[in-house]
Amino acid sequence: MAGLELKAIQKSYGAVEVIKGVNLEISHGEFVVFVGPSGCGKSTLLRMIAGLEDISAGELWIAGKKCNHVEPRDRGIAMVFQSYALYPHMTVYENFGFGLKLAKTPKDVRDRKIRDAARILQMEHLLDRKPSQLSGGQRQRVAIGRAIVRQPEVFLFDEPLSNLDAALRVDMRMELANLHRDLGSTMIYVTHDQVEAMTLADKIVVLNGGVVQQVGSPIELYQRPENLFVAGFIGSPKMNFTEVTIDSINGGQVTVSGADIQPTELSADTTGLGEGDTVTLGTRPHDLLADASGNISGHVSLVERLGNETNVSLKLRSGATWLVVLDGDRELRHGQELQLGIEDQKAMIFDAAGQARHMA
Amino acid sequence: MSLIRRHWLSVVAILVSFVVFVIPFIFIVLTAMKDKRQSALLDFSWPEKFQLWENIVDVITTRNWQLLTAFINSTILTVASVTLLVVFAAMVGFVLQRRRTRWNGLINFLILAGLMIPPAIVPTIWLLQAMGLFAKLHGLILIEVAYHLPFSILLYRAFIATIPKDLDEAAIIDGARPLDVFFRIIMPLLWPVTVTNIVVQSVTIFNDFTNPLYYLPGRGNETVQLTLYNFQSQFNTSYHLLFTNILLITIPPLIVFLFFNRQIVAGVTAGAVKG
Repeated sequence: MAGLELKAIQKSYGAVEVIKGVNLEISHGEFVVFVGPSGCGKSTLLRMIAGLEDISAGELWIAGKKCNHVEPRDRGIAMVFQSYALYPHMTVYENFGFGLKLAKTPKDVRDRKIRDAARILQMEHLLDRKPSQLSGGQRQRVAIGRAIVRQPEVFLFDEPLSNLDAALRVDMRMELANLHRDLGSTMIYVTHDQVEAMTLADKIVVLNGGVVQQVGSPIELYQRPENLFVAGFIGSPKMNFTEVTIDSINGGQVTVSGADIQPTELSADTTGLGEGDTVTLGTRPHDLLADASGNISGHVSLVERLGNETNVSLKLRSGATWLVVLDGDRELRHGQELQLGIEDQKAMIFDAAGQARHMA
Repeated sequence: MSLIRRHWLSVVAILVSFVVFVIPFIFIVLTAMKDKRQSALLDFSWPEKFQLWENIVDVITTRNWQLLTAFINSTILTVASVTLLVVFAAMVGFVLQRRRTRWNGLINFLILAGLMIPPAIVPTIWLLQAMGLFAKLHGLILIEVAYHLPFSILLYRAFIATIPKDLDEAAIIDGARPLDVFFRIIMPLLWPVTVTNIVVQSVTIFNDFTNPLYYLPGRGNETVQLTLYNFQSQFNTSYHLLFTNILLITIPPLIVFLFFNRQIVAGVTAGAVKG
């Protein structure tokens, strides 16, 4: 079966280290998404798996075979590019069949595989067209079809949806999810869009600065981010942060307060923390409630009324701006004072090193 | 009045190009039709007697049908040189554009040097003699390829820069070896600039006078441009035959040019517009 294993993979261009020792295990049939801000090395990592970039150090194992120096064609992979990279001088049929033709597959087998792929993607009627005669979504499907035809062990997607418009992107996202379910192959998908990551992935790998920040299921990353970066990156709208000081520690409970927040009791892993330490408190916009007796207060600076919910930008006393998502429609005025409470202690504490202190 | 004011520049341009390009050609055609006596006057006049056909027969049969030998030589020279030029220049352009090494600067300098430094004839002849290529058609083919390679490489490299690298990579993932990538993906996409190369270089090489003169002496080695010497000498020049000869050897490049005209323009501009 086609699992992947990355052991201390590194990539450097001269003195610049781009990937700084990535360890990762991907089992067969998993849908793994690499996500991170631009320049974090996620595409480089994917291209190293594809064999388009050399691996500076570490080992890459695909389906139990060490693949550091194996040619891309022998790795059992197929890749879909952001720019589609369709061969402009070939018809859709020829685009689909190019890899098979190079592999000297007999003509009748080739024809059957091409037509199978075309049927899966519902584009049998387009086989005679050239890429220039297709729309963006159709081109994207040709690129995917070209990958399917090769029946690879591992599919690699390099931001495949970022050239499509919003509506089409949602459609294609669902098609990809269906495709993964139908084919059952391993898929590795690179994106900077965390909504794509959350909806598609079995497992998300968050990268920043060439280092893996956290690996886990989408909900795990949302509910228990390991550090400040993951907490800020996963979830939309972004998590709010503020600096607080620890007033007292009592078992698994800490009481914190700061310029923006009255003393608040939270549960956290307190190992190594002491009274008077400065920590960062993070809370998601959806976990804040309008509460007259709440211990956070600020002035409304912007209101977006969407009908089912209301997005409020709140200017706190320290000058920081928090985003709050309140249920239902609220009539709020600019400059009005608003008291907020945190729902069910849904706030997280991050220590000075940026590590999350979740209860075990 | 306004008609003149609006179009005077176009009229001037048309007149100038008529004088520069068309009148000389008409002069060639008219002189080629004249007899020996009238053509010797070298004036722009209507032929008293039309004998184009006789002139053509004379020109072709001179020196034991030398013009036919010359056409065969020139055709072999042009086709072989241009084929090699297209293949090599496209390959060099591709590698130079795609693979960044510390040698690129030096290689680019050498290509520019090939364009700028005038060829040294005598040392080249020594070298050809040492290799047994002097006064051989294949020796001249190599010379033409060497002299025209830099320009073709520049054309190709600019065009290859506009082909996204993703295409190479997609082909590599699809299992293409380097030669597959080049011949199955890149080369077909280079068609516009290949046409430009074929036309520009084949006309240049077909019309080349000096290189065959230096590097390809000897009987049976004539190229078309050298047959012009048959009809001029120090004291006596047969202008009617000379101009018939010019007319005959101008036709093939003219056909190539007319045929590919559209595509040349496409090829020349294609590299320029997309950065």
